[in-house]
Amino acid sequence: MKTVILILVSFTVNMLTAQTHYDEGMKKAFELWESDKADEAANLFERIANAEDQHWLPYYYAAQINIIQTYRTKDAAAIEARLKKAQKFINHANLISKDNAELFILEAMLNTAYVVYNPSNYGMTHSPKVEALYQQAKSLDSMNPRAILNHAEWKMGSAKYFGTDPKQYCPEINKAIALFENIENKTPYYPTWGLNQVARIQKNCDE
Amino acid sequence: MIKLVLISIVSMYAHALFAQTAISGKVTDKTGSPIEGANIYIEGSYDGGSSNENGEFSFTTSLTAQQTITASFLSFETFTKTMPVSKMNALTIVLREDVNSLESVVLTAGNFAAGDNSKASVLSPLDIVTTAGAAGDYIGAFQTLPGTSNVGEDGRLFVRGGTADETNVYIDDIKVFQPYNASASNLPTRGRFSPFLFKGTNFSTGGFSAEYGDALSGVLLLNTIDTPDQDKTEISLINVGAGIGHTKKWKKNSLSINTFYLNLKPYQDIVPQRVDWIKAPESFSGEAVYRQQFKNGLLKVYSALSDTNFELTQEDINIAEGIRFKLRNKNFYSNTSYTGTLETDWKLTTGASFALDKNRIGIEETKVHNETQSFHLKLKLKKRFSNRFQWFTGVEQFIEKFDETVDDPNFPFFTSDFKNTSTALYTEANVFFSKKFAMKLGLRGVHNYSLNYTKVSPRASLAYQLNTTSQISLAYGDFNQAPKQDILKYSSQLAPEKASHFIFNYLYQKKGRMLRLEGYYKTYDNLIKYTTAQPEYSSLYSNDGEGYAGGIDVLWKDKKSLKNFEYWISYSYLNTQRDYKNFERSATPNFAATHTASLVGKYWIQDWKSMVGASLNLASGRPYDNPNTKKFQAEKTKGFSALNLNWAYLISQQKILYISVSNALGTPATFGYQYANTPNSNGTFERRAIQPAADRFFIVGFFWTISTDKKDNQLDRL
Repeated sequence: MKTVILILVSFTVNMLTAQTHYDEGMKKAFELWESDKADEAANLFERIANAEDQHWLPYYYAAQINIIQTYRTKDAAAIEARLKKAQKFINHANLISKDNAELFILEAMLNTAYVVYNPSNYGMTHSPKVEALYQQAKSLDSMNPRAILNHAEWKMGSAKYFGTDPKQYCPEINKAIALFENIENKTPYYPTWGLNQVARIQKNCDE
Repeated sequence: MIKLVLISIVSMYAHALFAQTAISGKVTDKTGSPIEGANIYIEGSYDGGSSNENGEFSFTTSLTAQQTITASFLSFETFTKTMPVSKMNALTIVLREDVNSLESVVLTAGNFAAGDNSKASVLSPLDIVTTAGAAGDYIGAFQTLPGTSNVGEDGRLFVRGGTADETNVYIDDIKVFQPYNASASNLPTRGRFSPFLFKGTNFSTGGFSAEYGDALSGVLLLNTIDTPDQDKTEISLINVGAGIGHTKKWKKNSLSINTFYLNLKPYQDIVPQRVDWIKAPESFSGEAVYRQQFKNGLLKVYSALSDTNFELTQEDINIAEGIRFKLRNKNFYSNTSYTGTLETDWKLTTGASFALDKNRIGIEETKVHNETQSFHLKLKLKKRFSNRFQWFTGVEQFIEKFDETVDDPNFPFFTSDFKNTSTALYTEANVFFSKKFAMKLGLRGVHNYSLNYTKVSPRASLAYQLNTTSQISLAYGDFNQAPKQDILKYSSQLAPEKASHFIFNYLYQKKGRMLRLEGYYKTYDNLIKYTTAQPEYSSLYSNDGEGYAGGIDVLWKDKKSLKNFEYWISYSYLNTQRDYKNFERSATPNFAATHTASLVGKYWIQDWKSMVGASLNLASGRPYDNPNTKKFQAEKTKGFSALNLNWAYLISQQKILYISVSNALGTPATFGYQYANTPNSNGTFERRAIQPAADRFFIVGFFWTISTDKKDNQLDRL
């Protein structure tokens, strides 16, 4: 009996330490990110992702940082390398977590980054991809505020380009805000970003 | 007992807590410069760190014994090494540059890449279809690039002093046998395939890979789309026809169908033509692409069907009332290709194409019926040994079968036929010595069963990066080409024609600006000669012809200097002479102008929701032979100039109005002269100018895309 307890205890301890290990790692990575060490954070997310085989979130954040970082540089080679790397992370994450709306949203952001950095080269080929990815994300999770918000911003951008009224998408922003307020966190470290972008996107509605 | 266990557990943890090993070192590149931000870690653990601005890193690990340390950084190859943890201190890790990164040198000699995936891309996909004067014909856009001649009465691609027959076209690396629509002589043709099916193109004006053969001058490689983005229906209404297309996408497969009906009759009733049409060109064409994704590969099946007919009276200096010419062409083309990965780092590409081309031609009372069946089968294996060394090898089989009957009331019934069968083997290696220096070496061998010859041709190219914005490359290659149908139907005792290319290329690229300079020299040997005006049964054929072509191509492209405006300027200097066909001696052929230039500009006007484009094509006079003088091919036509304009207006995101006019100023053009066979009573040969059917060509079109996202449009097709 004692042996059984002992085995059980040591088993749980192991599991707990494994879980805490993951927690500690993720926390550390977010700390690095918050203290403006984004690349170091991405490196840690990448290490966690490589060491774990069940978690898609470290891949998600490693990819997200690399995508966001492309907006801070004009160096085409660096941008291409980062986006290529981010795509690899997303592909890995997709293998762990199938039909995940968050990953489709992230991939749409990745393709948006291509269009933003070189519109004449990537505009024609990647714009339809962005559109298709947001639609897929919405079909998987129709109440995802990030999908609704980012898709609205994307549609506003192209409306402006084609000279139609971007304001037609403003109701979608309000819909996203309402959804942000009612959100429940399913998994630890599940993406929660989005609400902080509303102000920027809403500028399109004020003009 | 419990105590004991507890103690041992605690001590275990304590051991784990205290037995940390410090790991440290430095990450640099090959030159010893520190790399900041590299990710260094023990594989399978969280233990690791990032390098600082001096390239230094340090972290601790509780792991012991043999472990694998990994260091990775953007644009560098990942470093791994297995060693005891205790030895992982004061390490020096030198990362090798990743030769696949954007900054690497590219083999550019002779090559114009167009598309989203190429580093040295010259034309974007949009450029190909929005070039003024191209009128939706992808061939038209390539004719604004240096190295091509503008041969207005023909419409095909003439590359660097070579005839149009010297450039082959491939779809997904499988050969296309009749890439151009059927046409009458002196009336320009256009590409047979609709441009929207292709995502990228590669156009080589020389020195191309050993994978492609049987072409003396160039290859045009078209790649179809892998996966369409969404379901959509596309409707187009143009002043010369109407089309409808539909794409349906499923999870692993997709189908696109596209049909077009063209009839020039209403247009020609309004716009006067120099040509006396009895039946204006009318055609029906349909295309379908099916794509299926497998776990490790992609299958594409492309089929195209077209039916064209027209009848006209062709002006002729020898026959006052002209010659009645009538043609009906039916063409079927199908192309199946599969690309997939085998084991690690092995890639298999295989495919086959089949073409059936039937012509029923009437020349006055003579009826000519011919049929060509062509077949291409290909298998290629590619092995990636590392980022720096890749190698491929392949085998291909070509079969061409031709039958023709000529029924002339004044002569006995005449038939001719031939079969042209050949097998080719090729192999090529790509080596990157560093990010700055790359080399490609290839070899192609071909055996032709019908003409009974075996030829081996080497190909090589080198590229060296001078600095971050410029590079030079060199290319050399031998190219062989079997005689074409017009000769083979009368003679099968000939050797292939041969060309050798020497190319020097300089490329400068910086932030949206590009300068490309290319100098080349080409020799021609074994060109086919015959003794009559046209190839005939009674001609004597030989391989005694030869020639050369040398020149300089310049391309300047700028999409940076002015907002929403992009332009390119291309200039070609060509010096060529050849002794071929029935030439009495070596001379510059009629299709070769010494100077050719194009200026292409596109401007997006936000307030008008319009894309306006203009292109100016210029060429110096083309040589022709005047039998009234003793000198052969010694006179030149007047220079050529045409200003083309186009305007695409977005009515809404999915509806586009498109207007284009070629040669807006109506500048008269003369491509050459036809001289009488016999002199008139004064002893002079009379002549007739060869001119375009009309000075201007107008297109007015409406394009409507219906898709679920209400966003896609057909701007990319215009």
